Parts: sequence; structure tokens; C-alpha cells
Amino acid sequence: MKAQQDEVNDLVKAGYEHGFVSNVASDTLPPGLDEDTIRFISAKKNEPEWMLDYRLKAYHHWLEMEEPDWAHLRYDPIDFQAISYFSAPKKASDGPQSLDEVDPELLATYEKLGIPLEEQKALAGVAVDAVFDSVSVATTFRQQLADVGVIFCSISEAVHEHPELVREHLGSVVPHTDNYFAALNAAVFSDGTFVYIPEGVSCPMELSTYFRINEAKTGQFERTLIVADKGSFVSYLEGCTAPMRDENQLHAAVVELIAMEDAKIKYSTVQNWYPGDENGVGGIYNFVTKRGDCRGDRSHISWTQVETGSAITWKYPSCILRGDDSVGEFYSVAVTRGHQQADTGTKMYHMGKNTHSTIVSKGISAAHGQNAYRGLVRMGIKAENARNHTQCDSLLIGDQCGAHTFPYIEVRNPSAKVEHEATTSKISEDQLFYCRQRGLKEEDAVSMIVNGFCKEVFNELPMEFAVEARKLLNITLEGAVG
Amino acid sequence: MNASGSNWVLDLLSRDSMPAPVDWVQALRRQASDQAATLPQPRRKLETWRYSRVETLLKASFTPVVQAPDISGQVVPAGISPYKLVFVDGWYSESLSHTDGLPPEIRIGSLREHLDQDSVRKQLGQLANAGENLFTALNTALLNDGLFLEIPDGLVLQDPVEVFYLNSAADTPQLAQPRNLILVGKQASLTLVEHYLPGQGRGYFHNGITELQLDAGSRLSHYRVQDEASTAWHLSQLYLEQDSGSYYHGITLSFGAHWARTEYKTGFRATDARCDLRGLYLVGDGQLSDFHLDVHHDRPACQSREQFKGLLHGKGRAVFDGRILVEQIAQGTDAQLTNDNLLLTRDAEVDTKPQLEIYADDVKCSHGTTVGQLDPQQLFYLRTRGIEKKQAVHMLCEGYAGEIIDHLHLPSLREQATDRMRQALERI
Repeated sequence: MKAQQDEVNDLVKAGYEHGFVSNVASDTLPPGLDEDTIRFISAKKNEPEWMLDYRLKAYHHWLEMEEPDWAHLRYDPIDFQAISYFSAPKKASDGPQSLDEVDPELLATYEKLGIPLEEQKALAGVAVDAVFDSVSVATTFRQQLADVGVIFCSISEAVHEHPELVREHLGSVVPHTDNYFAALNAAVFSDGTFVYIPEGVSCPMELSTYFRINEAKTGQFERTLIVADKGSFVSYLEGCTAPMRDENQLHAAVVELIAMEDAKIKYSTVQNWYPGDENGVGGIYNFVTKRGDCRGDRSHISWTQVETGSAITWKYPSCILRGDDSVGEFYSVAVTRGHQQADTGTKMYHMGKNTHSTIVSKGISAAHGQNAYRGLVRMGIKAENARNHTQCDSLLIGDQCGAHTFPYIEVRNPSAKVEHEATTSKISEDQLFYCRQRGLKEEDAVSMIVNGFCKEVFNELPMEFAVEARKLLNITLEGAVG
Repeated sequence: MNASGSNWVLDLLSRDSMPAPVDWVQALRRQASDQAATLPQPRRKLETWRYSRVETLLKASFTPVVQAPDISGQVVPAGISPYKLVFVDGWYSESLSHTDGLPPEIRIGSLREHLDQDSVRKQLGQLANAGENLFTALNTALLNDGLFLEIPDGLVLQDPVEVFYLNSAADTPQLAQPRNLILVGKQASLTLVEHYLPGQGRGYFHNGITELQLDAGSRLSHYRVQDEASTAWHLSQLYLEQDSGSYYHGITLSFGAHWARTEYKTGFRATDARCDLRGLYLVGDGQLSDFHLDVHHDRPACQSREQFKGLLHGKGRAVFDGRILVEQIAQGTDAQLTNDNLLLTRDAEVDTKPQLEIYADDVKCSHGTTVGQLDPQQLFYLRTRGIEKKQAVHMLCEGYAGEIIDHLHLPSLREQATDRMRQALERI
């Protein structure tokens, strides 16, 4: 037991692998938030009047809102005036046109993370709209995508080039009045990704954006908008790491997905931001609003997430199942160790007939980690024959951690079927013994069992991501034997 | 609106003129009264009231029953036990009760008459903290009477004790607030059956509190049948604490009232205790049934089972909120919660929220929830056997509810409950 405890301690003390800071000159706004900040951001991005109005409306609404406190999280109050709301890496006058023009140090940063763009281009065939701090600096495969009519660009570009699409859809899934952090994001969002898949097009490659928080004390306010028109398909990958910092960094992103008739969007996330040190100091505060709208009949939105980083995770990727026969899915693995806290889950709003949703949530808590699943399944009056199955399992490693489940189930239609199951346990001694008896090291056995525990979720990830996620999980839980 | 906003409670408190029979109760009352004035008013924004419309209750006006009411014309139903105690508007009625033949060591009857007992003085208000919520504060602030039951160590009573709560006829809706204290001694064993019935009352509000203490190795089977008037409001809060090796076997059947809420708050004093909570709710047009469980595992190696099933028809509404909290010290906890809901009609509604909050790793905890309608295949099977649709539905519902009713270990009570359920199903 003592040896195990030591291993756990080693693990907890293990430094953050991706903790380094790149020296890229930044065009950073001093901390503080008022109307001028918003005007500055908007002006900096040459935004049209309607965009500024939208931001200001959101800002004024935000001022009247209260910070939510219902989540099972403990953290020091966030000083929104101590955050800098804009930071853009130095760039050539019109921005880089190709990889050659990109700041070499930036490219080196990606290399350190093991995600060189060229390699990805060549090997994986993944187009990358890389977000370094807040402004997109490299966009690849634009032409190839443009050939089939796919729009894949930063949201600031989209505001200029496709204003009608942005204006129509921005805030239509997550309105600026939605919640405290969504309102803040709507007011100050710096950049993000815009994707439009035209009718009948199956996107020829997996789209991917790598986020990185780099500038100290900089809030990251990403905005992602994905619109899949009738009968189209897109798979989108989101992954992130951040350098080691002592200050708490706030991240309040908003992701909006819109699926029209027969469209399918698959959204996968691997999140591995800095979780704070062994005393729980520092680490990213991750307050994200993600929501998908299955607007058309037979549309399909699938969320898959692997959450291993951040000090605080507050995140509920949701699906509004508006269209008849639409499908919503949520697959999640959330790992908390050290002093990490996660309050995550999903909401499934069944509005259309024959709508189906599946929720599979796996929570792993180690050391002092606190992991909460919070989910809502609502069967509306018109949701004839709607169906939901929810499975929440929690695994506890160590006696200092916690696992919590808060499902909400609201049924207004008798033909709807809802099932919810949840279990909480530690790693079974029998399973461990069996593996040990077969000559496996305890650590390998634990890793195997934990991977098995998460398999249902990993199976939903695109191949490259699944490999990465499995590796990430093993590194995260190294030595943590119950 | 002031800090508490509960003018409703202040108004009720201002009308009580009857002094408490003893000083220490007076002090307890005064303290609760002060707390009631500062506690927040229940409202939908608060998580515990998220799904239950409490606003209409807080707008209704009630008259607290501050002295023993007129009991003329009250009819007490035939019981299943030789021992019965009757409360009217929360006040003990000796003339309607029948306790002859009970072992003399058992202290039983009106709480008001037992206020000089050391055990009452020591235990009353220990579990039900008036500062906790407005309704507990209200009950304590107007504490007058209720059931007192103390079973000495080692006493095993074979026959059940039956308690009836009735209401009197009144021009204005009454506020009945029985305050019960039940103390079960070491290795003692008892079956307690409680019936909540309308009597002659209409539109009344039953705001009852029961504090239960189970000493080491004791056993209490506690069956409660709520069949209040269809115009009535019913709130029961049960506070339970168990010592090592004790076993609490609680079942609540909720049939009546247009607004009914039962809250269980359980805790453990030592290891190896077991707590079983079961419930069946049957709601139809205009009815709301709400169950709130707060099962607190704060000692190692205790077991709890929570099983609640609902049958909803008409425009019936049900709310279930079950929380299991396992503290870090409570290693070896085994807690399983299930909640099933059967929706028989279009307009029925259910909101369910089972929660697990776990801080210990060596535990076995699970919860499961289902919401659905009758399986058409099962119905079809019965129809092919020549059974009428209506009867087939009844059979399936009975089978479904049987899982709870079968846990009542008194056959006559099982029959009563089944009959009551049939009666309600007949109306669909």
C-alpha cells in the first residue's frame, strides 16, 4: 500500500509535460473590461457595425447577470477586470498566406507539442485552422475544401467574407442571453472557427483546430460555429494544450453546431490544458458552452470528449433534438487528479418525434480530484416515441477523491422511454488480481482496466484521436493504483 | 419583498396565542419562530423546490389548530391492529384511541403529555433542526402535540401499532402539524403503521415532522399510507438516525392529496446499520406527488436501499429527488437507488433526479431510473389470452406496484393497499 501511495504521489508531482512558453511578440490589451475594450476588439478586427452592436448588446446583458454558483466546484472568485481580453500574435501586414510566412517560433511550438502542421498535412490529411492565442495564423487545405464548397476559416474572416451566413447563425443556438459565460464570450470573443458544409457534401477530410493558450493572464474566448446544410457530413476535431502558468487563466468558449435535414456533425474534443500544480495552484478555468441544434429531420449530432486537463471544467455539450427522427449522442471521459475539479455532462432536449439520444459518461477521479456528471434529459410534449439511454460510471482511485452524479430527467410525453443507470466503484480487486496473476505489472493492469472502462467512449473517437486519448489517459493515470 | 419574504409564515405565527405547556418548549418555539422569520421562502428557483409548485401553497391561507379540536362525529376506520392511536388535526384524541393491552414499559401517546420525560427533552428537535427549512421551523414554532413512542431496550412487540391522522371539519382550511418523536431502544423491535386520512377535513395542510432514533440492534418497520382528502396539502418530513446494527424498513404509499411531498433525511450514528426506504406513488388529475430523499452515509459499512415506483395517470405529476451522500469516512458503503415511473396517459408528467455524491472509494453505489409506458407486447399477450384491455392494464399495473407492496410484511395491509390501488385504477 505504501509503495502504491508513493507512486500516486510521484504521479501527482509529475510536472506538466507541455509546460513551456513561447516568446512570440503579442499585441496585448491591458487587463480590464468595459465598453471601450469591446470597441477596441471590434475595431482591431475591422468588424462591421452589426457585429459591434451584437457584442455591446451581449456585454450589457452580461453586466446584469450573476455568476452561476450551482456547479459542484470550488474556486476563488474570478476577477473579470484582471483579465486581458485581446492578444494577437505578431503577424505580417495581411497575415500569413502560407506556412512559410508563419512565425517559425510558432511552428516550433507545434512541433514541441508533437503536432507539426506539415506532417499532419502530409500524413493525416487533416486541414488545420490553428489558433495560437486568439488569432488564426495558419489555414491549410483551404483550396481543397473550397473545391467542394466547404468553408473553413476563422470566424473573423467569415464575418467579412460570409456575413450573411454568420449573421444568420451566430447566436442562434447559444444566444448571448444564454448564460453568464456565453454572454461574456459573445461580448469579447476574439476569434474562432467557422465551418459551412453545403448541401449534400460530405467533407473530404476531418477538420481540426488546435487551441493553445499562451499569453499569461489572457482569457481565451473562442467562438466556433459549424453549419452543416442538408444531407452533409462533417467530422471536427478539437484538441488543446497550454503552457504552465501560476495565474488562473479563464477560458470561456462557445461552440454552436447546426445540423439541417439529414446532416451529421461529429465533434470530438481532447482537452489537456494545464491542471494546476500539486497544491491546486494555477491551472485553467474552463467554462465552456457547447450546444448543437438538430434543426432538420433525421439530423445527427455527436459529441465525444476526453477531458484530462484544466483546474476547473464546467462544460455541458448539449443537443436540441428539434427535427423528427434526429439523433443526439454524448460520449465523455473525464479524468480528474491532483486538485482538479470537473462538473460536466450534457443536456438532451427532445422536441421532435422519434428522437433518440445516447449518453455515455465515464468519470475517473484520482488523488484529490472531484468529478461530477450533471445531465438533463427532457422529453417534450411532442416527443412521440423519443428514446434516451444514459449510462454514467465513475471510477474512484484513492480515498481522497470524489465522484458525483446529478442527472435531471423531465418527461412530458408518455410514449417516451428514458433509462438512466449510474454506478460508482473502485477498480475491482478481482480484476486486478486476475491480471497480476497473468504476470502483468500492477500499473499495466490498472491501465488496461481503465482503458477498458473508457472503451465505449474511445471507440467513438476518430482513429488518430483515439490513439492520442489512450496515451493521454495512460500518462495521466500513471502509477495511480487504487 | 423583505429578506425572508415569507409573510405567509409570519402571518401564521402571529395567530398562535396558545402558550407552550412547558418553558423549554416555549424556548424551542421562540427560537424556531425567530428562524422562520429569516429563512428564505421556498420557491422554484431553489434547487429543492425546482419541480414542485410550492407558490400556490404559500398563497393559501390556513388556520393553525392551537387547541384540541372537536372530535364529535369522527369515525375511525377499522384497523388491522388491536392498538390504535388517533390524532385529529395533529392533536392526540384519547377517547378515539385504544392502547389497552400494550406492555406497560412502552411509553406511548400524546407528546404533549410526555414533555416532562427526560428522553423527550433530550431528543426533541435534535434531528429536525428548525433552522433547516421553513416548514420545519413552522412546525417547531407552533409545536403543540404529536405522537410520542418510546420502546425500551430489548422489547419486541409482535402486533403492529397503528396510528390514524384525521382532520376536523372547519370553515377555514386548517393547518395540522403533528410533531412525532419515536425512540426505539437497543435490540427492540416494532412495526408502526400510519394512516393519513381526511376525516371531516377539506383543503387543510398537513405539515408533519417525525423524528426517529434507532438504537443499536433495533428494528423498526415503518409503513405509512397517505390517503388525504383530494383538496388537501400534505408535507411529511422524516428525520432518522440509526445506531450500529439497526434496521429501518420504511415504506410510504402515496395515494391522496392534490399536493403531497414526503422528505426522508437519514443518517447513521455507527457502523453496520441498514436503511431501506421504499415508496409507491399513484397520481391522477390535478395531483402532485413529490419524494425527496437525503440519505447521508457518514459512517463506514452501512447499507441503504432506496426503491421508489410511480404510476401516473390523467394529468398527474410526480417529482422524485433522491440524493445519496457518501462521506470520505464511510468506506464500505453499499447504497443502491432506483426510481421507476409508469406513465399511463398522455398528460402525465414526471421529473426525476437521482443523485450520487461520493467521497469514499471503497463503495458500491448505483442508481437507476426509468420512465416509460406499458409494454404493448405484454398488453397484446394478455389480450390474446382473452383478457379485456382494461383488466390487462390493471394486471400489469398491479404487478408493477407489487414490487413495493409485497414488501409490507402485514398481509392485511398489503390487501388494503392493493384494494386502494385498484380503486384508483378503476377511475382511469
